[in-house]
Amino acid sequence: MNNKYIFGGVIVTVFLGLMIYLFTQTNIQYESDFTRVVKVDKTVKATGSWVKAKNYEIDKTNRTFSFYMVDEKGNEMKVVYEGTIPNNFESATSVVVTGKYENGSFHAKDILTKCPSKYEDGQVKSSSL
Amino acid sequence: MKAYALFRKDLHSELRTRYAVNSLAMFIIVAISVILFSIGQERINENLTAGLYWVVIFFSAMSGLARAFVSEEERGTSLTLQLIASPSTVFSGKLIFNLALVFAMNTVISLLYAALFEGFVLQNFVLFLITFVLGNIGLAVSSTIIAAIIAKAGSKGTLYPVLSFPILLPLILTSVSLTLNSINGTSFEDSIFEIAIVACYDIIMISTSYMLFDFIWKD
Repeated sequence: MNNKYIFGGVIVTVFLGLMIYLFTQTNIQYESDFTRVVKVDKTVKATGSWVKAKNYEIDKTNRTFSFYMVDEKGNEMKVVYEGTIPNNFESATSVVVTGKYENGSFHAKDILTKCPSKYEDGQVKSSSL
Repeated sequence: MKAYALFRKDLHSELRTRYAVNSLAMFIIVAISVILFSIGQERINENLTAGLYWVVIFFSAMSGLARAFVSEEERGTSLTLQLIASPSTVFSGKLIFNLALVFAMNTVISLLYAALFEGFVLQNFVLFLITFVLGNIGLAVSSTIIAAIIAKAGSKGTLYPVLSFPILLPLILTSVSLTLNSINGTSFEDSIFEIAIVACYDIIMISTSYMLFDFIWKD
């Protein structure tokens, strides 16, 4: 009778640990190093910034939007997004793209842009009512 | 073999009263037709289809499977059962009955979905089949043990979904993403982690249920 609980307890602990480990693996991970983005064959969130020297392109026949992104270490990659250019793209300070690297370019499903805050630095003007 | 006899007994009493079958069928028809009427001609995307599919499964299970042990308490037959069979036999019998109910219910839901929803086109059928089987086993085991817990409690109707939600949440979340993967046609290798999670969940629920049922049943 006692053996049953010991045996069952061991099974439950082992599989619970395994399940928690697997849960952490399924979440989409942030990646700020593009050399790793190119290597791993799964969906990641790549963070970096838009290379303004190389202009973005909008392909109207295929309905794609492509641009070049650069990470902190200066690695560049081409990003292709099926859709239109997101709002505030040109003023974005950093970009997060969710997708997968395939055939020499990063195919993004989603683009998030981070814009410079309006509520920084500047002198507060006194409101005149 | 005693477990099978208990399953036969449950099946006979179910065929006589048709409590679970009626409430399951009613819920499935109402839920699916409300969804169909509200989306109208629109084509809903895959995420929503996979989510709604599991919403219907979760609440149908909540409405139909709660009676497994409550019926024994109400008819006063639980003491007789305690005398003639060991706790694990009783649990196995109820589990087989709930497994049969869940598989029948989900087959009907899947067929209705495949017939009525445009977005529910499975590109990776094998992946969906694995999700279906593993998810159903998890759902049946969890709902059986929770039904045993609430049979002794006062407000049975409301307690069941409240207790089930946190226990079933990991299963439902992973199954939704697996269903989404099979609609999108994601390869088997890419969803191996999710499949392993559901398999782990099933093993954990089966072993804890058999360990803890003795205490619930004898109390």
